[in-house]
Amino acid sequence: MDLTLLPPEIAEAHQRFACSVAASADLDSLMRLKGEFTGREASHASRMMDVLKTAPKEQKRELGAVINALKNEWEEALKNRQIELEAAKKSAASLATSWDPDLPPPLPVHGAIHPLNRLMDRLVDVFRPLGYHVEEGPETETEANNFDGLNIPEDHPARGSADTFYFSAHAGKLLRTHTSPVQVRVLQRIAPDIEKLGGIRFLAPGRVYRKDEIDPTHSPMFHQVEGMLVGHGIGMHHLKGTLSYAMKALFGPAADVRFRPSYFPFVEPGCEVDVRCPLCGGSGCRVCKGSGWVEILGAGLVHPNVLKFAGIDPTVWSGFAFGMGVERTAMMVSQTPDLRLFFENDQRFLKAMGGLD
Amino acid sequence: MLIERRALNAELPAINEMSNLELCELLASLGFPVDGVETKDDQTVLEVDVTANRGDTLSQRGMARDIGAKCNAMLSAIPHRTLREGAPLFPVRLEADACPVYSTAILELGMVASTPADVVCFLSSMGSTAKQMPAVDASNELLHRYGHPTHAFDADTLKGALVVRWGRAGETLRTLDGVERTLTAEDLVIADEAAAIALAGVMGGDSTKVTAGTKRVLLESAWFDPRVVRRMSHRHGLHSDASYRFGRGVDPVMAQVARDLLAARLEDWAGAKLLGAWTAGQVPAARPAITLRKQTLARIAGTVIELTEAAALLRQLGCAVVIHDQYLESVSPSWRQDLTIEEDLAEEVLRLRGFDRIDSVLPPLEGAPLPLASSYLQARNVARRLAHVGFCQTVTLGFISPDVDADFAGADNPPEGRTLGNPLGQEFSVMRPTLLASLKTTAELNLRQGAKEVKLFEVGPIYRSTAEGPSESLALAVVWAGSLGGEDYLTRLRPVQAADLLGIIRDLGVKGAIALQELGEGMLGVEISLSALPEHEDRIIPKFIPFSRFPTVERDLSLLVDLAQPYVDLEVAMAKALRRAAGGCFQSLGCVDVFRHKSLPTGRQAWLMRLRFQGDDRTLTSDEVDGWVNAALEAGQGLGAELRG
Repeated sequence: MDLTLLPPEIAEAHQRFACSVAASADLDSLMRLKGEFTGREASHASRMMDVLKTAPKEQKRELGAVINALKNEWEEALKNRQIELEAAKKSAASLATSWDPDLPPPLPVHGAIHPLNRLMDRLVDVFRPLGYHVEEGPETETEANNFDGLNIPEDHPARGSADTFYFSAHAGKLLRTHTSPVQVRVLQRIAPDIEKLGGIRFLAPGRVYRKDEIDPTHSPMFHQVEGMLVGHGIGMHHLKGTLSYAMKALFGPAADVRFRPSYFPFVEPGCEVDVRCPLCGGSGCRVCKGSGWVEILGAGLVHPNVLKFAGIDPTVWSGFAFGMGVERTAMMVSQTPDLRLFFENDQRFLKAMGGLD
Repeated sequence: MLIERRALNAELPAINEMSNLELCELLASLGFPVDGVETKDDQTVLEVDVTANRGDTLSQRGMARDIGAKCNAMLSAIPHRTLREGAPLFPVRLEADACPVYSTAILELGMVASTPADVVCFLSSMGSTAKQMPAVDASNELLHRYGHPTHAFDADTLKGALVVRWGRAGETLRTLDGVERTLTAEDLVIADEAAAIALAGVMGGDSTKVTAGTKRVLLESAWFDPRVVRRMSHRHGLHSDASYRFGRGVDPVMAQVARDLLAARLEDWAGAKLLGAWTAGQVPAARPAITLRKQTLARIAGTVIELTEAAALLRQLGCAVVIHDQYLESVSPSWRQDLTIEEDLAEEVLRLRGFDRIDSVLPPLEGAPLPLASSYLQARNVARRLAHVGFCQTVTLGFISPDVDADFAGADNPPEGRTLGNPLGQEFSVMRPTLLASLKTTAELNLRQGAKEVKLFEVGPIYRSTAEGPSESLALAVVWAGSLGGEDYLTRLRPVQAADLLGIIRDLGVKGAIALQELGEGMLGVEISLSALPEHEDRIIPKFIPFSRFPTVERDLSLLVDLAQPYVDLEVAMAKALRRAAGGCFQSLGCVDVFRHKSLPTGRQAWLMRLRFQGDDRTLTSDEVDGWVNAALEAGQGLGAELRG
């Protein structure tokens, strides 16, 4: 194309055009460039049209072709650059509002049910399908409920002030030393209706108090879960069947139980119940001291005196009762080395050991 | 209780070949778990756990007897020369029922006196050191070997007749441990004509003790009522090997035998010469027979056990058994004082048969199961809800110190009625009036441990002093301390505010006023009675309430109000106006933003109130909503609010 037909400043501008387009970094500068070259007024294009108007007739045809070609070239280049810049702008805008999905998201912070409560809740869930409900009693008890009603003799050492906390201003009021007084309360309450109810079966989880110094295995306050069933013709085989079911439900199908004779004033016969070590499965480990068994419960058939005290005829009704130390079981299962951790309530411990249900 | 393997074997030769491991398992199956096995001077010593009802097994022979019953093996005979009962050299008067039999003898000690080496060794196995005083060492040996405590007095210190009688109030006795004890009428004592000389079955007196210079000894071998001994031991805080055994019940028949054995040892070891032996009172008659019905045994065992089998097992224990058609009658041996009811016999039959032979059967369901109490479910549900929204449940001790109590308890809840008479220590002496005291301490501990945010709750009883004694009620306390957020790129770090905690409590369904407490800097707490929470809803699905499907119209009103303007007043006034104007179309009203800035007029703040309307049966028009909004605005203006331009 013959640029010599055009005024020299336009030819010169055209020489710069490609560079200027490339140098336009944003739409604003591109629009300014567009105005300079192809704008309606005072642009190189409008000036070329003026030149064309005044050009000699014989040049008009050739000049017109040159001007058209230039205008087309400019418009094409500007349009392409505009598309490029618009795309770049869009992509920058989209980056600004987009987020790397791998950035750590805000997580809901969870808390925890205390591990001791969790174990007690779990026990309730285990016994619920067997028809047990939950009974609760106060922590402040009378000697009658805590001792007398449980066939504990008047001179039993557990009644002494070295073992049991008594209130100073109220003689005979004490902090219960076990959850067994709930047995007394429930039996007395249901005694008039026992025929209609067809006996009773319940769990009584709760806090109890004994005068033990605080150390890695003792606490003056701890938890027990008491269980009791009263019905017709209840024997040791029923106790074994029930605890065998419960321990399997709690620890898994390998959790056999073993009964050893023992003595508690409120049961006869009485036994200690061992469960096959839930940690080693019976092959012997540190927790079961190599024996394959861990002691987990005290139990037995309800002593006739306990039924009589509550006004229930022991020649008609019989039953069993059992009691589990919650802390000891929790420590055994979790291998927590120090009982005090359960009462210190460090959030790190609670979150690690507790759970949401 | 310590068992020396050699001494046990001597009593029951049948177990000579049994390994220690087998023996431990056998003992455990009989109800005597072994806590430890030790070797002392070449002797194996087992530490055996004995339950409080089995006083008969508190000796080598007693334990051997129970093992022998299980293995159906004979005990060795006690090497024993029976002394001829003669006329009393000292009169003995039994003035209390608690001592039915009292055997005694007087010996003159010889010049040579030494305790045989094998006895010294046995005593060492029992954790006791020989004193090289035959009367003392022999008595000690007999106690551990045969389980019958005996005592020796220096006969030349006794003044007149020996009397077993109740103590006299105010009377004193210096016991062998050097403590001067004041006696009561419930103390059973051995006395001479002058004074009490021993606490029966518990400990001898200092003034009559055997010393190196003793020439003549008077031996005592008696039987004392276990209940009396237990009470004395407890009352005087005095627990001896003798009181441990008498208190759990020893064999009364052994009284005379033990005296004979003791006298024989003094003759053999110390060249003593017997001057006379006599016994006051009589061994109590055997207890009446206990009936064990076949039916009861079958019920307890879970299977039919023939009476012949049961009788054979009971006979192995030393019972005299007569079998009838449907029951047996058993007279217990003198050493088994713990057998009193038919259940006891059933237990013995099962024990010797082996508890491992008991079947495993689930009991039938006789009555309908009872539901879980709503109070139990409520406590469990509230704990779960709080755990889900980030709070950790704590378990803290129920007692606190009086100082902390004073900071928390109201004037209407004095500590006296909640105070323990025998606390572990001052700081554990008052039953807490609130859970917040414990939660505050726990939250502080967590903050000290570096926690940025502490969210705790506890469900437990709190105590109130009443005329009848301490009364408990279940409470829920929640504590929130520190700052929240700042752990991710979307949530800003900010201090915990009262509204945060209020929101949690409202979420639990608590209506009405909620009293938050500032427990410390940036630490907020609240305690509510569990009964203030909505009851556990037992309906599977609540009753259906119809809802409108027409669009909701939302309008925001930015109001300038005084900084001191109570929010509740404004909300109540505006809601009242809206209910009057819009009726059922008025849905809700609430402040969704608070703006305080120096650009606002002095003393004023801006509340952005959001109003929502919805028609039950139509789409609302803009005009009618405008009218209702104006009514609300007018109500606000009545309280000094103005529309922010």
